[in-house]
Amino acid sequence: MMLGGTLMLIVMNANEIVSENQSVYNGDMLVQEMLTSAAQIIEGELRNMGFGIAENQSAIAQADTSSLTFLIDLRNGGSPIDTVRYILGPVTDLSHTQNTLDRYLYRRENSDETRPIGVVTVFHLDYTTRSGERLTSPVDPGRLIEIHVVEVTMEVQNPYAMLRRTNEVTPGERDAMYSSSIWQQTRLASQNSRR
Amino acid sequence: MSTGQTMLTLAALMFLSTILLNFYGLLADTGDDIATGQDGILATTFATSYMELANGLSFDEVTDTSDIAIQNVGALTPVGSLGPESAAEDSIHKFNDFDDFKGFQTEKEIGGTSRRFRATFDVNYVNPSNVTINSSSRTYVKRLDVKIWRTFPAANGARLDTLTMSQVMGYFHFD
Repeated sequence: MMLGGTLMLIVMNANEIVSENQSVYNGDMLVQEMLTSAAQIIEGELRNMGFGIAENQSAIAQADTSSLTFLIDLRNGGSPIDTVRYILGPVTDLSHTQNTLDRYLYRRENSDETRPIGVVTVFHLDYTTRSGERLTSPVDPGRLIEIHVVEVTMEVQNPYAMLRRTNEVTPGERDAMYSSSIWQQTRLASQNSRR
Repeated sequence: MSTGQTMLTLAALMFLSTILLNFYGLLADTGDDIATGQDGILATTFATSYMELANGLSFDEVTDTSDIAIQNVGALTPVGSLGPESAAEDSIHKFNDFDDFKGFQTEKEIGGTSRRFRATFDVNYVNPSNVTINSSSRTYVKRLDVKIWRTFPAANGARLDTLTMSQVMGYFHFD
């Protein structure tokens, strides 16, 4: 009887651990996939930022910590040059999810409709000059041409929460845990600035 | 319970314990694999960020300011002199050509993750018809090799991969 009870406890414990881990691992996998999916779009497009732009012209038309507008010849047609804008949306756009910090990252091409390309919790942009000076945000329009490097930091969190017990939450903390994944990359404002 | 039954029960318990141990081990391995995935994402972005910066530099110290090397490969930096030209080129902001990355090392915490990564760089001339082979003489193609690994949190016996990435740059000129 006692032996049976012990065995039952062991099996139930194992079962609980599996369920818990499975949701954690699924959450981790989900955010990594969401992150790489959004990163691939941004990475590919920022790589070509300034393509087709005259040497003496700034590839960046507007820059601050949560949005970036740049010029690019998307179709290799020469004229007119395209304008692409990435902008972080407000958290209210995704108020129906459990995660209170997630928001859309939008992309807009010329005067087309603004479309979401991913869900992020952080989308932060920093701008550095060739000499390493970090420019303050929003970047003064007169200094846009000085931008040499754009650093993009992006974090994705799981929209679904793993709720915590009340006694586990210390003041100032969120009452739930979310799997998260971070991506940070620097991109040149122009590929041929020194060649 | 007879002796035979007791022995059988003990054997069954041992068998169950072995299964459970393997099972928990597998769970831990899966967790490690997912954490390694995040490390892989960070290490890759770290590497590609520096490769992007290298890609924006001149092919060679000589080609930064002149076209003399277009017709004369011998005008390029000698194989043994690849690397920063002077002690003043001590940071990436002061690098002016691709091979200044040779011997460069850096360590960085990637924003908000508390994970630190170390990177080492090497640059060599390569055979233009097979860029995996280093060349002992000057050519119009160089390869940057980057090795990156996590330094914090320490591995503590767990598996820790070193990511190696390479980028090739050829000298070209628009007339």
